[in-house]
Amino acid sequence: MTQTTTQSPHSVVEALRGKRTARPRVDATSAAGLRGELEDGIYKVFGSTTPRHPVIVRASSLRQSHRATDLALSRTGLLRGILVSQLLRLMSVGVVVEHAFDDAVDTLRGEGRAIDLLGHLDQLDNEERARLATDVTAHAVTLSRSMGEMASHWTPRTAVAGYQRLGGGRVELRDVVDLVIGSSEGGVASIVLFDLTTSPLGEGAERVLRYHALVHTLKTSIVPWRSAMFSSATGELWTRDVDFEMLARSVHEVLAVVEELGSVS
Amino acid sequence: MTTLLHRRYTQGSLRELVNDAPHEPATLTDDHRRSLSARFRAVTSGEHRRLDAWLVERAGELSGTFTWNPVTARRLVGNAAARRVVARPDRSLRAAVGDEIDDQLLRVASGYARGGSLAYWLAGLSEPVRGLVVAEALNWASSTLEAAHHLDVAWSVASSDAYYDVAAARTTLRARRDLIIGSPDARVVVRLRSGAPGKSAGPGLRADLTIEALAEHEGHAPSRIIGLWPDAGVCLAVDGSMDDLRAGARDLVRTAVAQRRQRLVLAA
Repeated sequence: MTQTTTQSPHSVVEALRGKRTARPRVDATSAAGLRGELEDGIYKVFGSTTPRHPVIVRASSLRQSHRATDLALSRTGLLRGILVSQLLRLMSVGVVVEHAFDDAVDTLRGEGRAIDLLGHLDQLDNEERARLATDVTAHAVTLSRSMGEMASHWTPRTAVAGYQRLGGGRVELRDVVDLVIGSSEGGVASIVLFDLTTSPLGEGAERVLRYHALVHTLKTSIVPWRSAMFSSATGELWTRDVDFEMLARSVHEVLAVVEELGSVS
Repeated sequence: MTTLLHRRYTQGSLRELVNDAPHEPATLTDDHRRSLSARFRAVTSGEHRRLDAWLVERAGELSGTFTWNPVTARRLVGNAAARRVVARPDRSLRAAVGDEIDDQLLRVASGYARGGSLAYWLAGLSEPVRGLVVAEALNWASSTLEAAHHLDVAWSVASSDAYYDVAAARTTLRARRDLIIGSPDARVVVRLRSGAPGKSAGPGLRADLTIEALAEHEGHAPSRIIGLWPDAGVCLAVDGSMDDLRAGARDLVRTAVAQRRQRLVLAA
């Protein structure tokens, strides 16, 4: 079932969790078939040849063609995205964000990663920095108004990484999901993958939703219940219940990217 | 012959790795300890040496000085929170992480924390960065408890890492451990790792195995040591056999040699 809302819902968290009684049983059998299909497809692309470097597929590889230019992937765009993601991490663990930009920069510095983006931040002049601060604050307001309160027993995991090596190391799938809630215990599907973007949602976002679900399935051998994406630019939330058809479609999309990137390398 | 088992990390595979662990792991004797000490003494060092699996995996490559950050703090805070949840299942994991951080801050306020400690570092953080520590610790503790819930035998969250001081060799060995499964005589040790395993993950696990056996007062090795990489959905395991223990000891000595060579090059 697909739910598409054109307005920011009253609470994203409520929309994500839905009714417990309506959840399907855990699917722990589909992963092997999907992996097999990916391995076959990768063999068709590379045969017995091995590229000098592995082809790395990320969520951003599926968002757009590598020949297209996306302003959201500019350094300032990436910085804005990573700062808003930091705020999501804080909100998920119940921290009250009072000064969105300063708090986000503080956490990014405290984390000690994204050194190049922090360097870019330090190089911005006052006007550019003020523009970025206003931008981040606007996204944070949309996010905080929409998210709603997360029950502490949901154990939210943030910035959850995923890696999968396929085709004997010829291809690497890499992914980071901004927020994962739910548990793999029990017989009912309950894991929800939530991605936050500072861009408006488009066709590429649907592919990313599917990609998150695919990598999670390959990683844990358990099909997640839902994959969702929220745009802090527009306040839109897209939610998709994950099924085999959706995952199979993502396999084809990943193989298309592998073919494209493989021909470039 | 050494062992290295590779499995996809699923609910069933971890349980199988634990249940199928060999029943009679090897034991290190005093002769083994003396022999290891002699080998380390032969690799002279101007300062006290600290070796662990991470250094073995990096062939002794010297890394920068240790600094606390949310990523380096997550394991300590996360495992402590997981222990709290085990002791008090009515508390949520998020609340347990909060309790642990509050306790650390209390130690600073009451003057029990020394400079450079985790508690001291936490006390100097702004509220947002402390929030990030909570988020990271929550990720870690969730992974630890999720792994443990797959098991059908008794387990506990390790309260400390295993340490062994090599006699008269100015060397301390450290093995990380997150979950201890089964009884002390026939235990399986689980270590959680982030990212994906590299080519040297096997030697790293063997180093952990050897140190774990050395740190046990009677020298009993764990039946099996399992490395879990939840990000990659992979688990690797090494059995507590004498061959694996020997390989682990050899790698530790080699790492000390490699480290000494690097120091000599730097000094020149």
